[in-house]
Amino acid sequence: MKRITHRAFSLLLLAALIVAGLALYTIRYVDDGRDWALSFARANSGSGGALTDRSGRLLASFDAVENRYAEDAATRTACYAVTGDYWGRSGTGALTCFWDDMHNYSLLTGTTHSEAVDLQLTVDAALCRTAYEALGGRKGAVMVMDYKTGEVLCMVSAPSVDPLDTGEPPEGAYLNRCLTSSFTPGSVFKLVTAAAAIETVPDMDARLFTCEGETEIAGVRIVCAGEHGTQTFEQALANSCNVAFAEIAVKVGQENMIAHARSYGLLDRHDLDGIPSVAGSYPLDFIGDPELAWSGIGQSTDLVNPYAMLRFVAAVANGGKLAEPHLIAGRSGPFTRLVEEDTADRLAAMMNYNVASHYDGAYNFPGLNLSAKTGTAELGDGSSHAWFVGFLADEEHPYAFVVLVENGGGGLYAAGPVANAVLQQAVR
Amino acid sequence: MNAVLSHSLILSKSVLILLSVLIIVRCLRSLLSERYEAEVWAWLQLGKEQLPVTHWENLIGRSRSADIRVDRDGVSRAHAVLVRSGKGVWTVYDIFSKGGVWVNRIKISPHGAEVHSGDVINVGGTNLRFRDMTTEKRRQLEDKRTAAGKRVSPFGTLLELSVFQIFLLLQHALCSTDNLAMIALAFAALLALEWLCYSSMRLLGRSGFEIETLAFYLSSLGLSVAASSVPEDLLKQMLLTIAGVVLFLLMGWWLRSLRRVTAARGLAAAAALALLAVNVVFSEEVMGARNWLSIGGYSFQPSEFVKVLYLYVGASTLDRLYRKQNLFVFMAFSAVCVIALALIGDFGTALVFFVCFLVISFLRSGSIATVLLALTGAGMAGFLAVTVKPHIARRFAAWGHVWEDIYGAGYQQARAMSAAAAGGLFGKGAGSGWLKNIVAADTDMVFAVVCEEQGLIIAICMVLAVMALAFFAVRSARYGRSAWYAIAACGAMAMLLTQTALNVFGTMDLLPFTGVTFPFVSRGGSSLLSCWMLMAFLKGSDTRKDASFVVNPVRVLPGDTAKEAGA
Repeated sequence: MKRITHRAFSLLLLAALIVAGLALYTIRYVDDGRDWALSFARANSGSGGALTDRSGRLLASFDAVENRYAEDAATRTACYAVTGDYWGRSGTGALTCFWDDMHNYSLLTGTTHSEAVDLQLTVDAALCRTAYEALGGRKGAVMVMDYKTGEVLCMVSAPSVDPLDTGEPPEGAYLNRCLTSSFTPGSVFKLVTAAAAIETVPDMDARLFTCEGETEIAGVRIVCAGEHGTQTFEQALANSCNVAFAEIAVKVGQENMIAHARSYGLLDRHDLDGIPSVAGSYPLDFIGDPELAWSGIGQSTDLVNPYAMLRFVAAVANGGKLAEPHLIAGRSGPFTRLVEEDTADRLAAMMNYNVASHYDGAYNFPGLNLSAKTGTAELGDGSSHAWFVGFLADEEHPYAFVVLVENGGGGLYAAGPVANAVLQQAVR
Repeated sequence: MNAVLSHSLILSKSVLILLSVLIIVRCLRSLLSERYEAEVWAWLQLGKEQLPVTHWENLIGRSRSADIRVDRDGVSRAHAVLVRSGKGVWTVYDIFSKGGVWVNRIKISPHGAEVHSGDVINVGGTNLRFRDMTTEKRRQLEDKRTAAGKRVSPFGTLLELSVFQIFLLLQHALCSTDNLAMIALAFAALLALEWLCYSSMRLLGRSGFEIETLAFYLSSLGLSVAASSVPEDLLKQMLLTIAGVVLFLLMGWWLRSLRRVTAARGLAAAAALALLAVNVVFSEEVMGARNWLSIGGYSFQPSEFVKVLYLYVGASTLDRLYRKQNLFVFMAFSAVCVIALALIGDFGTALVFFVCFLVISFLRSGSIATVLLALTGAGMAGFLAVTVKPHIARRFAAWGHVWEDIYGAGYQQARAMSAAAAGGLFGKGAGSGWLKNIVAADTDMVFAVVCEEQGLIIAICMVLAVMALAFFAVRSARYGRSAWYAIAACGAMAMLLTQTALNVFGTMDLLPFTGVTFPFVSRGGSSLLSCWMLMAFLKGSDTRKDASFVVNPVRVLPGDTAKEAGA
């Protein structure tokens, strides 16, 4: 009997394995319980939640039984870049990225006391609609933010999709172009070159630049869109003169160009309340003066992410200090200095001069105290991206914006009216 | 939800958790602190030394692990076995010793020889004088032993369990008023059943109730799950629990007589094979496995009853063990059972049988080599099963990857883990979960349902309750009268532990999902009935004084009265 009973302790081995298993499960539970619980969050939290825009307008709501979106198809489509959908088809939508924020979970009580949280966003659904309609079926991206507070008022990407539409969506509809694409910037990059020049080249305002329609740098021809004659720095930016900016870029030098593009955040990934954006790019290997000239003009291999550009412009508008953009209402991001104050003020003044002197501000942008820069990024296939970036120097409406129309043609003619439509609605 | 309601819910949750912990702790305390004192049946006089004979089956030898250690030259490590029959007749067997065994100078035959008080047993040259004891003496000795339940009152534990059940019912009432009458009736019936069971035990003079208390604790969680998932079936579940307890009592009564038990082993083996054969031939396929049998509208799982029969056949008395040293017949029988289960496609139950087979064959042979051999064979068989059976291969493929395919292979586990995490430590309240709506939640994923509704702490208590039962088996095996009871009890717990592990860890993606039931808690008639029957095995090995109704009290052994009458 004793022998058998000694062997009975083998049963304890089984018990020990169970204890080990329970311990492993508990460790995983502590580590991943939150993810597990929120994976079926709707089932787990009995109550529902909602996503609303800044004025309380419903963008999406759900409970244990049903998923709902905004009532009208136009809003659903225009706001898709913001909301995403319940299936996570757009990896950058609020319903995907803020899902955790909309549910309470604690290790102790799970989701038991979870009244699902109604989340208010900073965007204005009507403004998104206006922007989407202004794009008029063209591919593109529009973002507007309050540069004093960081609130993102509008974020639109086209083409978009109605999440309730069961048909085949247009190609790229799930992509938020504001955050997850980078584009050749063309002349809007001259803002970066100009800022770098103000900070690194002495006496910029004393210098004169002569344009005869083209110039040669180390034997390579740089062509300009016009024949601008002799111009000041300010006039050169307003003319968007390639000859002048080729000369400026070479003067600044590649190292300085890289350093400044980086410090302005154009080469980094950012995030919007945790939604990641992609980095832009600028030639980092030695390229020689002719290529450096082209890169200073925003061509070469330059790529800029619209959101990163918005951050730069918003900082310039706000004396060089960026109010960290955010999408969830009630949060106020930190302020970070992106551009030297003097540089920012100088550049802001130049952008204001652009609109007044060259963009026919009074006619194209009536009633708006607009400061901006156009961009027509040549893609080498004859088409070009139309950019229009800038801000309102308006205490009541401190809005910075970026408009991109893919293959849209001239910046002012293709992107300008979109910006005007959105801004007119925003200041109303 | 208004404030009063939510406060009552918090109160009921705290009480339930507190009582769960208390019930487990009390049962474990009784296990650890109760005096397990050996019964003494006779003496062997070795020179001036009096060696107590403490079992019905005793190994005599030079080995440290012999029950009666005779450390003299000429004595083999395992020399002889001294056995007491249920009628009180003692027999000594030579188990292939070198030195041989004589009783009163006559060399005994391979069939053993009876010994009576005063006889001299010679083992390899050493004389042992056998002294049986009178009933009077035994009575005196027995009175000195501590009765079960002296340290930790079984009444107190059962009272705690009753309060637990009342609060569980209360929680159902707080969370939902649907089917409340039915649920209340079921809980009332459970309360009545356990108290009836307890009072009958007391009337019989038995005071060990830990095993029943743990079983009733698990049953009440099972009832709560059933009330939440299939309130319309609650009556059936309750009736099955009653049937389970009746079977437990019948089985226990049957196990009282070792002679009766051993005589019926062949019959049990035949019944097991017949059940499996019928199952293989007539069953219908449900979700890849054909483990259901339908007779006249009632469907049941034959494999659950085969479990009980398998243990019955697999356990063995000590003399038999030593006299027939090979495990061949048992191995063949086990192989037939496991293969039949594989044919049926019940992979989980086959695994449960297999682990039980390992434990029993180790208990019987003590040979690690046998166990390793069996493991290797099973590994190959398992590999074959995985490659041949597509539904098993799928489950293996999904193992560890359930979150990658939450709408396909990982459908059930991902939901189970999510709902379990959502319950937190304290749960959402009885009937407030959603996992119960998923197919097979209240059987295969019942651990997660309890996690969701009652919280992680109670779910862990539920596992601890099964482990506590296993500790009982190990602890009381030491003092079992016959090896048969010890092996049967340990084998039963090996089955239940394996089932628990497969159920819990299959649900939580630590093991492949096999779909076996959690003892007592999973909904399902056959499983519930077999669990209660297995508890009878456990009761059979509990020889604390006046503890178990399955064990005849020393004072009134029928064998003694027969002998006295004859004398």
